Order: sequence, then C-alpha cells, then structure tokens
Amino acid sequence: MLQIFSIYDFIPVIFLKERALKKPGLRILTVILASCLLASAPSRVRAGDDRLDRLEKEVTGLKQENEDLKKRLGDLEADQEEIRNNVGLLSKYLDVSGYADVQYDLTDSRTDNSKFRVRHLSFFFSKDITKEWKLFSEVDFEDAPRFEADRNSGNLKKAQGTVFVEQVYVEYRPSFSLDARLGRFHTPFGIWSIYHFPPYVPFQTNPLFFENTFPEVSDGIQLRYSFSVKDMPLDTNVYVSNGGGNAGGTDGNASKAVGARVNLEVVPGASLGGSYYRDRDNLNILRSSYGAHLLLSYKALKLQGEYVIRENEISSGPKFRDNGLYAALTYDLGKWTFAARYDRCRCNALDEQVAGSSLFRYTGAVNYHFAHNVVGKVEYDRTVSPDRSLDENRAIFAIAVAVGDL
Amino acid sequence: MGRISFSLLTVLVLALNIVAFNVEATGEPVAVIVNKANPAESLSEAYIKKIYTNGVLSWPDGVPITIYDLSLQDRVRAAFSEKILGMSADRVAEEWAHLKITNHAKNPPYTMKSEALIIRRVASEKGAIGYVSYSAAKNSQDVRIVNTLQ
Repeated sequence: MLQIFSIYDFIPVIFLKERALKKPGLRILTVILASCLLASAPSRVRAGDDRLDRLEKEVTGLKQENEDLKKRLGDLEADQEEIRNNVGLLSKYLDVSGYADVQYDLTDSRTDNSKFRVRHLSFFFSKDITKEWKLFSEVDFEDAPRFEADRNSGNLKKAQGTVFVEQVYVEYRPSFSLDARLGRFHTPFGIWSIYHFPPYVPFQTNPLFFENTFPEVSDGIQLRYSFSVKDMPLDTNVYVSNGGGNAGGTDGNASKAVGARVNLEVVPGASLGGSYYRDRDNLNILRSSYGAHLLLSYKALKLQGEYVIRENEISSGPKFRDNGLYAALTYDLGKWTFAARYDRCRCNALDEQVAGSSLFRYTGAVNYHFAHNVVGKVEYDRTVSPDRSLDENRAIFAIAVAVGDL
Repeated sequence: MGRISFSLLTVLVLALNIVAFNVEATGEPVAVIVNKANPAESLSEAYIKKIYTNGVLSWPDGVPITIYDLSLQDRVRAAFSEKILGMSADRVAEEWAHLKITNHAKNPPYTMKSEALIIRRVASEKGAIGYVSYSAAKNSQDVRIVNTLQ
C-alpha cells in the first residue's frame, strides 16, 4: 500500500494512496519514516559527494593510464613497422614476390587454335645480403610446365611448358646512382625489354621485334650509372655478355657481346634514349643492333615508342638488315586503361616472315584495374602478313596478378 | 505520409553523401616535411615530384635522400599523389611495383603505416623527406615543413 521511490539516491519521495492515508496508524508510521529519511539526507549527500570525487579521480587516473598505454602501443607498432619495412635494418629473410597471368586465346589462325593458357607463373627471390650487396633472381614457369621421367629407365616420358631462370645476379650497389650486376639480367635495350611484366603493361603480346633483334637475356656483367645533366636525370648502362644463344655454360664462341643504353629524362614525363648491342654469334654472323626509344606522358595519356635496326654481316655473303618499330598510346580513366599499338617488323627470325617484307600487327586493349596488383585485360590483335594466308585475328582475355610485398 | 518521409530520408542521405564527398575531396592541407638539419627552407612542388620519382637521388650537400610514403589506403597519400605526382595513389603504387619487380627502382619510398611514424623517421634521419597532414606536423619541433599543399 505504501510506495517509496528514490529519485537521486538521497531524496525520498513518498506516495501514499488515498485509502492508506485515512488509517491513523499508518499516517503516524509514514510521518516517522519520512522524518528519518529526511534527517539522514544531508549526510548521504556528503557521502555521495566524496564518492563522486573519488570516482572522478579514478576516472582521471584511468584516462591517464589509457593515454600511456596508447602511447606505448603506438611505439610498439612503430617499432614493428620499422622492422617490417627494414628501415635501417637488413631483413633476415629472403623476399619472395612474383606474378601470374592466365588467359584465353580466341584465334582464327590456320596454324594455331583457340585455347586456355596458364601463361606465366613467375617468382622473384631477392635478398639484401649487406647494405651494398644483393642477390636477385626470377624464375619463370610458362604454360604450366610438367616434366616426367620413366621410373625405371629415367628417360623423359613427358615434357611440356618452360622453366626459365630469367634473371639471377649478384648486385653491388655502393650508392643509389651506381650499381654493378654480375650474372643473368634482362638485356638493357630500349623500354619493353626491361619493363614488360603483364600486371603492369596493358598488352599481353610483345612487340614483334622483341627477341628478334637482340637477346631477351644476357649472361655477363652490367654497370649502371645515373647522374644529372643540367638537372635532367640521365641513366646509363654498359654491359659485356656471352651473346645471344650462349646462355650459361653453353657459350660456343670466344667472342663476347657488348651493349650500352642511355635514357635522358628531358622534363618530368618526357624521356628519350638510345641503345646499342653488338654480337658475333655461333653462325659467325656479326649482328649490330641500334635502337631509339621515346616515352611521353601527360596526365592520363602516355605515348611509348621504339625503333630498332639490326645489321647482319656474314663473312661469306651479302649483308642483310632487320628492323622493327612500335608506337603505343595508352589512356588511363579511373580504374580503366585504354591502349592501342601499331607494330611493324621486318625480322628474318620471325616464323611468319616472308623474306624482305614486313609483318604488321594492330592491337587494341582495354584493362580494368580491380586493385593495384590485379588487372583484367581484353586485347584484340590483327596480324597482317605478306602471305595473306597467314593473316590472323586474335582476341585475348586475361587476368594478371602480382603477389608479394612489391 | 510514409512515402513523403521515405523521400525526405532519401534526400537527406543523398545530401549527407554529397557533404561527405566534398569533405573527403577537399580535406586538410598536406605538409611536406624534412629533417631539421636539412638546410632546405622550402621545396617547390616540381622538386618534390622529382624526388618522389627518383629524378633526384641526393640533396645538394650530397646526403642521400630517404623517401617516406603513407600506406596506400591513406587519404593524405591520395591527396599527395594527385597534387604532386598527378596520378592516383593506386597508379603510383603500380609504377613502383613495376620498377621494384624489375629491380630497377633506384630509391623506392618506404611505406609507413602512420603519420606519427613518418614524423619520427624524418626527425631522426638527416636525408629524410615525407608528408603528413598539416595538423600532425605543425606542432612538431623535430621536423621542418618545406611545402604546404592546399
């Protein structure tokens, strides 16, 4: 019948129902109880104030502790971050990264058919041995290789695809401007020979002159020196190698190939350069390649072009010449890249080549960058040969990904 | 009534999105910082671009440059990439990845997770350069602001 509600913990409020107040006993009891509660209120207020003060102090202390913990956590994270980034430290581990691309080729070629391809699976292994010394290597698996030997005889039963040690060298870099590489490296000639990895170029196909006017890789020693000419950065490379077709221990002749490359950045976004390569091969043909390259980029637009001539001198026959060029225009629009390439080659080594005539290829490509290391590509190539029966239309649908902390 | 409320709600959400987008698009200024011991008092945007694209590898006094970047998802990095390098942060990352994958990056930037860490590194290395939001750098006694990108 009697209901007591406490609102602020020390102020009692008594609600009496009408009928209850009519009873005298209850009325007296109510008055006594109310008096007691009211009498005790000031002390309860004081006690409450003390408690509040204590709580406030505790909260302030906790806040401070929290701040200290946050700072310590931040420092710990910073230390871990530094270790992860190897800032000022050498990693204890071998760095592994790489890329892969898979594609579907749709073609009307008479000599080829439409197919799925596991095009590349490439691994890069690098290790900073000391601040100046580094080991770098690239192992490329093309077309999902499989090699199987007969259990009893050991003879090769099945072989498909390619396993290719594309690069392996020891690098000495005393400064950012200078390095020396000893081993196998991409032949530094023009632009495409160095920068051609599928996740980072809009095309899946190589320019026609590539691999037909100079070797893709060279075994030897290379020096790079970078400096500025009137505030324009200039990169130079010189190298000596076994020469084309003479990789590893298979060098079949005493002569060595020599080469050089220069690249001048005239203004940011505009580079031009030249390359030279000279080699007497195992057929005793002296091959001298000269190249010029240009790279212009303005905002989202990029123009890249290369031109190569190769003179071939045979001791017992007439000289002959290979040449090739391409020009590629790309335009970035958000996550999209649109690209077009004109490609021409008069290269005697090409399968589709008819002596003395040029082969043409017209390429259009659209890339979609799902992330900075995942790209989807659609490419169309129209190859026009002097022998029109060899003309080809090819569409390529590809996905390229790069993996590892690049 | 329900439809009107729904329409109003939609308009409100859209308005909030527009406001949020504008806030993200404008953002706060980006401060480019160097070590206190670096004699450079200010650096032009063109020179900063040269540094971040490896067109310049050392300071005029010969000290090698150490470049710091924020993580790819950071809004300050997005603003810096657009303003200085004229490209989205993703595209800049692609370019670096291509250079690193070919081992042709001369002096690639170190990516740091936080602005505090960049300030810490720049403060401790004479040749270091980095960028952080202006509010993070303005009260730091250990680094010098050499350019403020609005």
